[in-house]
Order: sequence, then structure tokens, then C-alpha cells
Amino acid sequence: MLNKINQIRKTKFFIHFIKKPIAVTALIVISILFLGALFAPVIAPQNPYDMDKLDLANSLLPPIWMEGGQSPYLLGTDVQGRDIFSTILYGSRTSFLVGISVVVISGLLGGGIGLFAGYFGGIFDTVVMRTADTVLSFSKTLIAMLLLGVFRHSSIILVILAIVISDWVQYARTIRGEVLSVKEEEYVLASQAIGGTSLRTVFKHVLPNSVSPLLVVAAVDFGIAIMLEATLSFLGVGIPVTQPSLGMMISQGRNYLYAGKWWLIFFPGLTLMALVFSLNLISDWLRDEIDPKVKNI
Amino acid sequence: MGAFIGRRILQGIIVLLLVSFIAFIIFQYLGDPVMTLAGRYATQAQRAEVREALGLNKAFYVQYFNFLKNAFQGNFGMSYVTKVPVLNLILERLPASLELAIVAEAFAVILGISLGVFVSANPKNFASKFLMTGSLLGISLPTFLVGILLIYIFSIILGIMPTSGRGETVTILNFWRSGLLTFDGWRHIILPAFTLGMFQMALLFRITRGAMLEVLGAEYIRTAWAKGLKGKSVLFKHALRNALIPVITMVGLQFGQLIGFSIVTESIFQWPGAGNLLLNSMYESDFPVVATYVIIVALIVVMLNVLVDISYAFLNPKIRY
Amino acid sequence: MSIKSSKILILFIFVSLLFVGSIGVLAQDSQVSVAVEAPPRTMNPHGSDADSNLSIMSNMFEGLLQRNTKGELMPALATNWERVDRFTWRFELRKDVKFHNGNDFTWEDVQYTFAERLENPEVSEFISFGSSIESVSPVDGNEWVIDIVTKDPIPYFDQNMHQVFIVDKESTMERSQGEMGTEPIGTGPYVFDEWVKGSYLKMSANENYWDDLPEVKQAEIRPVTEASTRLATISSGEVDILQGIPVTMYEAVENNSNLQVIARPSRRAIYLGLSNEDKMPTSDVRVRQAMYMAINEEELIEKVMFGHATPAAQIPDPPTAGYSEKIERLPYDPERAKELLEEAGYGDGFSITLTAPNDRYVQDEQIASTVASYLSKVGIDVEVDAKPKSVYFEEVMNNELDFYLIGWFDGTFDFGRSYSKLLHTIDEETGYGTFNGARYSDPVADQIYEVSKKVIDPAIRASLLEDLNRLAMGKENVAVIPLHYQEDTYAIYKGSGVHFVPRPDTWIVFKEMSFK
Repeated sequence: MLNKINQIRKTKFFIHFIKKPIAVTALIVISILFLGALFAPVIAPQNPYDMDKLDLANSLLPPIWMEGGQSPYLLGTDVQGRDIFSTILYGSRTSFLVGISVVVISGLLGGGIGLFAGYFGGIFDTVVMRTADTVLSFSKTLIAMLLLGVFRHSSIILVILAIVISDWVQYARTIRGEVLSVKEEEYVLASQAIGGTSLRTVFKHVLPNSVSPLLVVAAVDFGIAIMLEATLSFLGVGIPVTQPSLGMMISQGRNYLYAGKWWLIFFPGLTLMALVFSLNLISDWLRDEIDPKVKNI
Repeated sequence: MGAFIGRRILQGIIVLLLVSFIAFIIFQYLGDPVMTLAGRYATQAQRAEVREALGLNKAFYVQYFNFLKNAFQGNFGMSYVTKVPVLNLILERLPASLELAIVAEAFAVILGISLGVFVSANPKNFASKFLMTGSLLGISLPTFLVGILLIYIFSIILGIMPTSGRGETVTILNFWRSGLLTFDGWRHIILPAFTLGMFQMALLFRITRGAMLEVLGAEYIRTAWAKGLKGKSVLFKHALRNALIPVITMVGLQFGQLIGFSIVTESIFQWPGAGNLLLNSMYESDFPVVATYVIIVALIVVMLNVLVDISYAFLNPKIRY
Repeated sequence: MSIKSSKILILFIFVSLLFVGSIGVLAQDSQVSVAVEAPPRTMNPHGSDADSNLSIMSNMFEGLLQRNTKGELMPALATNWERVDRFTWRFELRKDVKFHNGNDFTWEDVQYTFAERLENPEVSEFISFGSSIESVSPVDGNEWVIDIVTKDPIPYFDQNMHQVFIVDKESTMERSQGEMGTEPIGTGPYVFDEWVKGSYLKMSANENYWDDLPEVKQAEIRPVTEASTRLATISSGEVDILQGIPVTMYEAVENNSNLQVIARPSRRAIYLGLSNEDKMPTSDVRVRQAMYMAINEEELIEKVMFGHATPAAQIPDPPTAGYSEKIERLPYDPERAKELLEEAGYGDGFSITLTAPNDRYVQDEQIASTVASYLSKVGIDVEVDAKPKSVYFEEVMNNELDFYLIGWFDGTFDFGRSYSKLLHTIDEETGYGTFNGARYSDPVADQIYEVSKKVIDPAIRASLLEDLNRLAMGKENVAVIPLHYQEDTYAIYKGSGVHFVPRPDTWIVFKEMSFK
């Protein structure tokens, strides 16, 4: 075990990482939020999704340090008497669920499609790339709204599906680009000369090269998915109102801002921002790491 | 080159056909054209009549072909709600959206590029590092939240900015209503344009920095430095000119997206543009408007993309697809 | 000062000018701008029966009658009217009235509106009313006195005349549906100027109006759906009047010294519809009683409505014919509710979905959440499905919902009409039960309604309707669970100097406004 840790410590990746305090901080922030979401049922003083536990008597209490604040409502409550702190923990679960699902599904789907498109080329490639162009000519919000228009009933799965439909494209393009460049590499050409490249060969070479660019795409995408979920809640077509996500909390909280009840929007907003900001910092660091010339965005 | 242009245009047409197909599905199946045309309170017999008149009993491909044929003649059908040709409805609103997108883009380009150049010229500077990190903050907040906060700060607390609408407009050439020719119009466009352009600005800033750093590392620039040319001249005459190619490409590609993304911004600021119309129509189940909006925006996006690709190929002969 | 810094200075001055310039913008004299919640859907006066649309149409169009600020019926295009017999209504028409295009108003316009427009489903949402008209004709050859004969007795016929707007026959026949839907021509006090859908509607005073010329010369309606933006428009004085102060921000508006706040009890009642299908637990009256008693309406009003509502025990409001003082709310008693559920065989509770609009009523989504929370405390597991109103209302009308939150106010002040739409056994032929999404059906009550239609004496009819109301809302039936009457709220920007009296029907009628 120790050996293994030592091994990791020696890798370039790790050393570079540890030297970047910003990236380290970002990772710590994400980890804390993730653990908070994961262990929400243990940490949270209240289960805000259990309608039975809500009491209007506790509606709109300010944070605990302000006049009128009450224990255990650390960051105050919303109009239904939901503890804001607990709801943030539970709501982050939705954000992580949406983010992770979108990244994994889009990554696998888009990655797979991109790989085949790049490898086989021809008609399949054309179809895929034109479909990708088509998807890109719609904005993500529009796709999501159209989809929710079809099903007329909002749910987390639909929100995820809506985001995946627009997001697989970036993964497909990234992988396809890698495949195309690998196909031209000498060693692949060589193996072609002595007996033809199998999909496996390309895959074997493509995968290691693609991991890092995919990670960059994934980190950014993660953040975008979370923000899109919030936007859908804002537009009234997001997830159910009795199970607020961070986005739903912000969207509801905006109506209380003018009444001076700032905690309804401030804390979930801050959490969302911290999460997305950290994800962007990580992706930024990854990019610099992969490409020392800082080639692109 | 000719073959490349031809192929690129062909690709664009294929994409538009795909989009039109999706629009057709929206038009035909998302809403119930019968229900909305015949009215909510129509009887079964009245509905059947409308169904017949609309040709909804015909085969699927016949209906799609008719839809395409009509679309080519600029006939996208009638709005269910207002009963006016949908195309007019959207074209009327497009200038407002385009102006918003142009101002947002201009703001993003000016600020994004100048900051990018500054940062690449002073990479070790504290301000540069601060800007680099700060720019990420700009893409870490959902647009609607940015809009709401801006209204809260500038309109409610400070009371110095208008909250909604376009302000005073002037009609030019009989069809284009412009808010950019009046002082009032400019005051109204600032907050929404900033909201819409912020994401773009952060993006351009980072691309510019990346491109500049790459160019600055190139051989000829080092030669220029070595020859004793002044810093500023190298920076602007040599480096920026070359670094701008990817930046301009990005601007072209993203401009269409700005129009698409303006849905949320327009709804917060009650901007009388096409995005606002779309959202309204969506809520009213006015699907002909939605379908046509989809086609028109796709047309703009695809045309821009093709133009960018072609001009890019002219500028950089190495690129072939 | 270097060149660079002077450039920055210029920029700074320019930007500050932009800011400063905005402070001095004041509304012109005689111009009034009103921010409303919901955008008008169409400029065709019969194209939408939503009150948000009728409200705006009433400035450009007129019916045979109109209502004053107290809600009383007044003469408009007709100067006198009476019910001649069960089927016949007689109106004396006003002479020398011109449409905005210069055409004279004649009996033929009335005939055309009633016979051709209202009944056409493509252009009208007043179909069932339109199809109940038998004939419109002059009496004894006098073109200024007409008889309108209905197929069925419609006792509230005159009560509906303020919202059935008369259109010009000649221009309507010449113009396309699209022109009708975007360029309105009426006889009203305001002439249409410009409409940008979803953004604004501009009108100017009709200099040829038959009555006193309105004081407000330029009128503007600005729909602002986003609540916080709407509030911002009045705080900054961009509009003069705001309709619908979001209850969450009410206090902040009250504390704003630039704004004057007006509140009055709304005519709209919010209630819960419950499925009557046999397989549903809610078809058992004990379950309905239990759900009713599980909801603490007082607390809901205090916390979720911020005190801006009054408890309701029935659908109609006090001025409506058929309102009954004798109906009381079932008491809040969660213990009794549990017992009732036990008796009905649902001691372990059951699951149900509560569907609500999220952009229609005051705090609609939040009320649904709170109801879910109350019901979960007696063991009923409620999932809340909140959605945009366009989707929602379609589902109500298609009878797809088991449990839904809805609101109602009747522009005709007649519970008979409300009953026929909300609670009458569904009948597609006659248009009964259009909004009876819960499929409520009570043959006895339907019978009472039929009888009430034939009664001419308003007092006797009102008492019959009261009986009908008590039957439906009584403990034995609990046709719906009533929650509360909303409150209509308005904010006026003091600097505008506008004098404005809110109406019971929430219509924005510019000709009633004046300057102090």
C-alpha cells in the first residue's frame, strides 16, 4: 500500500497538482460538497424532502446568528419551513446526480460514437457529424424545453436526458479528432502495413491520448449541466417543487430577495457558484497540464 | 478550394434539412394543430373537418414534403393564437434579438480581447492571475441569476438603470426597428447585453490569451524581440494579428449561439425579441411559432458557420476538411 | 494627464452620463403605463375568454353593457335593456356611435357578432354561449331596438353582456383572421396603436368617443411575467401602476415611500378539485372530508399567502347570485381526519398526485407544496406536479387529473353559470362541465340547475342557486375543497399623479383613471 502511495507521489501529475494551491483548494471544495451531498441523510438536521417533517410554524426563519434565528436551522428556513442548510445538502445531491449522469452518459455515448465515426469514416462519419451540427444549431435551453414539452411532466431523468442530447456532441468531436490524428501516426500506419489496423489497436492508442482532453470537457460540462438544471427550474420546467435542487432553491429564493430575506437565495447561490467555479478551476488546471503551450481555451 | 466550398455548403443544407424535419415533428406532433385551430371548444365533427382540411389524414412523408414545400415559399403556417403568418411574427422580432446579440458580442470582443492581450503580455503580473481566475467566475453563475442580480443592484438599489423593454426605438428602412440610434435605447440595452455577453467575454478572454501565448512563443516573434523591436509593436503588429484568427473564428461560431441563448436573458429583461416570443409561444403551446423559430435560428447559425469555415480556409490554406 | 488616462476619464464620464440620464425620465402628462402579470394572447376580442385578455380588450371594444368600478351593470352600446320572456332579451341600441374606422354602429354589427363570430370555434372561445343564440332581430322594424332570442333560457344573459364585445361587420368580413387578431377595430374609448406580443400594447384616446373623452390620452400595457422585474419597473417609476404585487415582496412595496399600495378582496377563489372516479379513494366523501379537515387554511394564509387572502368555504364570492352565508368551512382537525380515513378503509393512507399551475395564481406552486405537507401528516402521500398553465389547463379540460389546484371567478356574478362549467355532469354537446376536470356528477343538483334556468325573478333564482351551492359544498358532498379568496393588489407610483380605483373584475380600464 505504502509502495503504491509512493508510486503515485512520484508521478508528474501529482507533483504538478500539489504545486497549484488553487487547484488543490478547488478539489477540496468539490470533495466537501460531494461528501456533504453523499452523507446528507446523516449530516442534515432535517429531511427536507419528507413533507411530513415540514412545519409552516418554522417558515422563513432567518439564519441562526440573526435575531429570530432558531436552532437547529443554521442557515434559516424557506417558506415551507424547510431548513436551508439541509435542503442545500439534499439539493446538491440532485446537482451531483445530474452532473455525474450527464457526464457519464454523454461521455460514453459521445465517446463511443466519436470513436466509430473517426475510425470508420465515410457515411457513418458524415451522418454523425451532420447530426452533431444539427444539435449545435439548437441552444441547450431550447432542446430541454422542447423535450419537456413532449413529455409534459418534469422529472430528473428528463432533465438529464435533455442535457445529454445536446452534450454528447462535444465528447464525440473530441474523441473523433483524437482518432483521426492517431490514425495518421506512424506506428498505426506501420501496423496497418503489416496486417491492418483493428479497431482494437486504434482504441488502444486513442484511449490513453484522449483521457486528458475528455477530462477537460467533462469538468466544464459538469458545471454547465448543473447550471442548466438551475435554468430549467427557473423557467418552470425543472424538477418537482417538493424536492428542491440548488437551482430550484435559487429560482424560488429570488422572490424573497426584495423582501430582505436574502438567505433563501444567497446560500444556495453561493454553493452552486462554489461548485461550478471549482469545477472550472480544475478543468483549467487540467488544460494547462495537458498542453503546456496553452493551446486553446 | 471550389470543391471545399461546395462540400461545405452541401453539408449546411443537409443540416438544415435535418432541422426542418425536427421542426416538422414539433409542428405536427407536439401541439395538436386540430385542437388549436378548431378552438378548444370545438365539437368532434368540427375537429374532423379541420383535420381533413389540414391534410392530416395523408401519409407522413406527404405531409413532410408539403411542409418543406411551403417552407421554401416562406409559408410557415399561421400562429395558433394570433392567426397571423408565423414568419412575419418572427421577422418582426428578429431585429431586437440581433441588436442585443450584436451589442453583447461587441462588448465581449472588445473587453475579452483587450484583457486577453494584457494578460498574455504580463503573464506573471498579479492582476493577470486575478483576471484569469476571475474570468472563471463569470462562467460559474447561471445567466438568470446574473440578470436578476444586475436588476436588483442597478435598478432597485441604485435606481439608475431601466429594468425592461427596449426604450425608444427608431424605424429604419421601413422594417428594422432600432434601439441603437437613441440614447434611451442604449440605456435599455446595457444590462441585458452585459448579462448575455458575460459568458462570451470570459470565453474570448481565455481564447485570446491562449492564442497570444502560443504566438508569442513562436520563432518569428522571438526573432522580432531579438532584433530589438519595441515591445508594443511586437505585441500588436505581429502577435495579435496572428493570434486573432482563432478568436475571430470563435466569434463567428458563437454568435449564432448567442441568439439561441438569449431566450433566458430576453425573458428576464422583457426584451421584445424573438427569444421572448419563443418562450411565450412555448407557454401558449403555439407550436408553429416554435417550429419556425427553430428553423430560422438554425438558418442563421448554419450560414454563419459555413461562412466562418470558408473564410478560415482562405486565411489558412493548411486547413482542409 | 496622459492620453491613456484621459481616454479612461472620457469613458467614465460617458458611462456616468448614461446612469444620470436615467433618473430624470418622467412620464409625460396624460400618459399612463400599467405593468400586468399576464400578456394578452390576441387582439381578437373573442379569441380568449381569459380575464387578462378581456381586461385589455375592454379599452378598445365595448359590449352592449358595461360594468362600473363597483361591478354594477351600466348601459354601453345599449341604452336600455329588459328580459321580455324566458328566451327573449330586448336591447335599445345607442345611436351615433362610430367604430374606429369610421363605420357606424348598427344592429347588424350586433347580429353579426352574435350569429357569426361567437359560434365560430376558429375565432372564438365563447362557443357555448354563441351556440345558444337563436336569433337577433329588430323589433317591429325599428332598427334601434333589438330582440335577442336564446335557444335555452339563459337567466344571466345580461350579466354576460359586458364581456361580449361587438365588432364591426363590414371590416371584419373584409379582413383576414390574422388582421382581426392583431389590429383591433372597436367602438371603445381607446384606439389601437401598436402591439408587440409579450412586450407592450399602446393605445391612444378615441377623439370620437360617444361618452366623455378619457383624461388619459396615451395608454400602455406592459406585461412583465418575471415577478422581480415587475416590481423593479414600478420601483423605478418606469410604469405608473403595477397590477399584482407579488405577496412575497408586499412588505417591501408597502415600505417604499414612492409607492402607494391598494388592496381589495379578490373575487377569485382557489380550490382543490378531487377525482370522482370510482376507483379513486377521493370518490369516498369521508376521504374528501378528511382531506378538507387536514388542511390548516388559517396558517396557510398567514405563512404562504403572507396574510393576503381570506378563507373560502365555497367557490362564489359574496356579491355573486347563489353565494350562501350559511356554508361554513369544515374545521381544521387532523385527528378527526385520521379517523375518517380509517373509517373509509384508508387507515394506512394512499398516494395521489396534486397537479398545479406554476405561473397562474398567487403562490400556486407553494400552496400545492403546503397542501402536500398537511396531507402527509394524516398519512396521505402527495406528489406535487407543478407545470406551466398552458399544459396544465389542457389536462384539466381533458379530465386527466385526479387532484388539482385551480381558481375561479365568474365575470357574470352568477353561480348558475359557474356551476354549469365547474360542477355540472360533463356533456360535450351542451358544453356543460368544461372545467369539471374532477368529473363531479350529481343528478339532483343538475336538476336544480335546470329548474333555475327557467326562473325569471332574480330573487327566487338566487335562492335556488344558493340551495344548489349548499348541496354541492355541504358536508355530505364536498364537491371541492375550497381554500381561499385571493387579494387583488396594486401599486401606484406616487410621482405619476394617477388616480386609480381597482375594479372587482381586475380589469384595467383607462377611461376610469384621472389625474389629481
